[in-house]
Amino acid sequence: MLFAKKKKIAPTAGYEEKDSDYVLEVRDLVVHYELENETVKAVNQISFQLKKGETLGLVGETGAGKTSTALAILNLVPDPPGVIKNGEILVNGKDVRSMSPMELEKVRGKDISIIFQDPMTSLNPVMTVGEQIAESIFLHEDVTRAESFEKAREMLEMVGIPGARADEYPHQFSGGMKQRVVIAIALACNPRCLLADEPTTALDVTIQAQVLDMMNDLKMRLGTSLVMITHDLGVIASICDTVAVMYAGQIVEYGTLEDVFNQPMHPYTEGLFNSLPSMNHKEGKLKPIPGYMPDPTKLPEGCAFAPRCRYATKDCSKPLKPRYVSDTHYVLCDAYDNPQFHIELQRGGEACE
Amino acid sequence: MKEKELVSKRYRKRSQLGDIFHRLRKNKGSMFGLCIIILLLVILILSFFIDYNAVTATDLANRYQGPSLKHPFGTDDMGRDMFLRTLYGTRYSLSIGFGATLLAAIVGVIIGSVSGYYGGLVDDLIMRLTDIISSIPAMLLGMVIVSILGGSVVNLIFAVGICSIQYYIRITRASILAIRGQEYVEAAKVIGMSDLRIIFTQILPNAFSPVIVTFSATIGIAILVSASLSFIGLGVAVPMPEWGALVSSGRNALRTAPFVSTFPGLFIMITVLAFNVLGDGLRDALDPKLKR
Amino acid sequence: MIRYIIKRLLYLIPVILCVSFLIFALMDLTPGTVVDSMIPSDATPEMVEEIYAQYDLDKPMVYRYAKYMLQFVQGDLGKSDISGENILRMYLDRLPNTLLLAVSSLFVAAVLAIPMGIRAARHAGTLTDNLTTVATLVGMSMPSFWLGLLLLFLFSFKLRLFPASGNDGFLSYILPAVCNGLTMMAGTTRQTRAAMLEILHADFLRTARSKGVPEKRVIWKHALGNAMIPILTTLGSNLSSSLAGSVVIESVFAWPGVGRLTAEAIMSRDVKLACGAVIMTTILYVIMQLIVDLAYAFVDPRIKARYIRTRKTRRKAA
Repeated sequence: MLFAKKKKIAPTAGYEEKDSDYVLEVRDLVVHYELENETVKAVNQISFQLKKGETLGLVGETGAGKTSTALAILNLVPDPPGVIKNGEILVNGKDVRSMSPMELEKVRGKDISIIFQDPMTSLNPVMTVGEQIAESIFLHEDVTRAESFEKAREMLEMVGIPGARADEYPHQFSGGMKQRVVIAIALACNPRCLLADEPTTALDVTIQAQVLDMMNDLKMRLGTSLVMITHDLGVIASICDTVAVMYAGQIVEYGTLEDVFNQPMHPYTEGLFNSLPSMNHKEGKLKPIPGYMPDPTKLPEGCAFAPRCRYATKDCSKPLKPRYVSDTHYVLCDAYDNPQFHIELQRGGEACE
Repeated sequence: MKEKELVSKRYRKRSQLGDIFHRLRKNKGSMFGLCIIILLLVILILSFFIDYNAVTATDLANRYQGPSLKHPFGTDDMGRDMFLRTLYGTRYSLSIGFGATLLAAIVGVIIGSVSGYYGGLVDDLIMRLTDIISSIPAMLLGMVIVSILGGSVVNLIFAVGICSIQYYIRITRASILAIRGQEYVEAAKVIGMSDLRIIFTQILPNAFSPVIVTFSATIGIAILVSASLSFIGLGVAVPMPEWGALVSSGRNALRTAPFVSTFPGLFIMITVLAFNVLGDGLRDALDPKLKR
Repeated sequence: MIRYIIKRLLYLIPVILCVSFLIFALMDLTPGTVVDSMIPSDATPEMVEEIYAQYDLDKPMVYRYAKYMLQFVQGDLGKSDISGENILRMYLDRLPNTLLLAVSSLFVAAVLAIPMGIRAARHAGTLTDNLTTVATLVGMSMPSFWLGLLLLFLFSFKLRLFPASGNDGFLSYILPAVCNGLTMMAGTTRQTRAAMLEILHADFLRTARSKGVPEKRVIWKHALGNAMIPILTTLGSNLSSSLAGSVVIESVFAWPGVGRLTAEAIMSRDVKLACGAVIMTTILYVIMQLIVDLAYAFVDPRIKARYIRTRKTRRKAA
């Protein structure tokens, strides 16, 4: 069955690729939450692209704007108070922001779908899991209701749940199983692009590994592009091709997995690595980044990380420009104006191994 | 040290109450309700200066006069002035509504605390009994009780009060069950406080806000039920100008003199509305879940 | 599930027994019964005793209750003290009228109130929402008898659209149903709004939207499906209280239902009839509450699971 599915996808995918090289393109995205007396600047001018079959990791602390980015891609930012202020979001070359509600409904779940963070609350408690998977299939594919249920059962099998359990309700599943169901829903229509918003954060460590393995496996088999949103560098290392490090709604460093892990450039990336416990330096203390994320309603001028940055100078309050280190690697830090500047951390690809 | 604690405690207490009042004040509806209730209280006080003879004085020559300067609400089938009668009637609805709710609250809170605090057989017995009473529709129970005791203000308070006791039993019991196991109650037991003292000083104050919310919610219902009873002739009897009875007195002349029924009914509605919106506001102000 | 229903039905028996005992006892206390009025003023003490014995008044109240209930179980509620008619017959003759009124106003309330509540919740804080809130508050504060009189005056006397009283044909049935329905609508709209407000921010609605589910379906299937429990509770309590509270509306519109029967019986001191009618209405009321409880299981699988789980554990224990 999987084989047949692949065959069905391949020609259409090849055909559509002529329109646009990228499955997903985000350009200068700005998302604000406009509250009564203040504006939360959640996402500030971020851009990235995703090729077919590629996996991009969006990494950053809580509140860095990762989830807002994901919601904006589906045009699901809760409005009010959320507003997409600026930017283009091209899914298969078409801008999500200019789509009619009907067009959006066609794109969501079919071209691009999302796995939310908390499996406990993302399933509807009064519908069977089979219904919830079949709903998506029935909406997007030319099948009868019975066929869509049949397919829903197959999807469950694919994520490792017996198909017979399709008639059960979410409360009858454990947390890990629920997340599998959520993944099955997201993959039900073979989307070309999948957004995974911390899919493993709410799960036990052992289940985390299972779910990640499964996602990796499915990604390979179905050729889906993936945006993996996480704060866990381990997850990034195990699954991603490209990494975007987010801080205060901006991408501060962007590059291939090797670029970022072997040769981190931004002081914040360095801070992230320093906060990880390491097997090689067991005796050393962890070095957390001092301070907190800036208040997203009052972002500092220039570099948002400057107040916490140990390399900061007074020049850091000037507007920033991305600086390309190589074709695939850029960093948002003006310290590199000085050709002598380098961060202290020297990594030997430890995390990649 | 102790003084400092006392000061901080007093400060906290005041700020909490102030906080609630502040939130209540922001709610336009409940402020409106509060104003109406104050206005009604003013009417109530003024109505004590009305001579009862003027209220019941019949004037058969002026039956069913429409609203005029002399009779702002018109006159009824016996030529009595509806304006005076309606104002005079304020006392019945307010005292029945308030009295019945207070009775229910006091009795219900006591029974509910006993039930929740002791648990076991006592609790089972009380709750089964509550279930049984609450499975008799309030209106019917009220009718039966009034028909036995006869219609008077006190009997109506009793009849309507009994019907809403169940709410207070349940809500007090629930809050107490939630609080009972907490450490500070254990601590009170350890230092040898009596059960009664623990219930009154340690537990009940914490069950206070749901009771207040229920109070303002049931007072409206109590007024409606008592007016309904009077309307069907099982409450405060004519010639006493209870609002429900006044509405009823205008029924026969509805075609020609609709004003007789209209004004007392309007008063019932506004009174109940005032308590309802105030209750809404209180709920929002007291319910920590809705604090935003 | 079926076993659960049977269990709940069996549980009703003690409730009905207690309730009927309570009502019987209360009614027994009623002063000035028909029996008293049957005693001639010049009766000798022996004659009085004879009459009392004839009505078992010389025996303890429990005896009379037991006798009454024995007949009750056999469907014999006795004869009216005043008209001499069979009480059960009288009650059952009037019951369809009351049920018709209750069910149709429930229908009107559900069909209008749920969409209104949803609309208000989706546009929370806007003018629509505020107007709805004010309207529901006013509706809930309005005495139903007063609303009934206003409707009568306007539609029956001024506009002459509907007959003012009685039960002759469809037209006479509209005003009481509208009056009852309006009262119900207020509470239901309010409850729907509150329940939907809580649900509208749920994560699973976001999941549904992310699947490409049309907004209409998100609201009506996903959100409403989850808000149904409190709405059902309100509808159910409205239905049962309109059964019991029919006394008032039936009195306004001179509608020949059980409410008016009860009120008239109480007023004319027809104790047997009053007692029978109150007990019957209470039984209906209790059954109605049971139906609402059971309906929960159909809208929420978690509640249903609780029932089935009890069955499974019992099977294991056996």
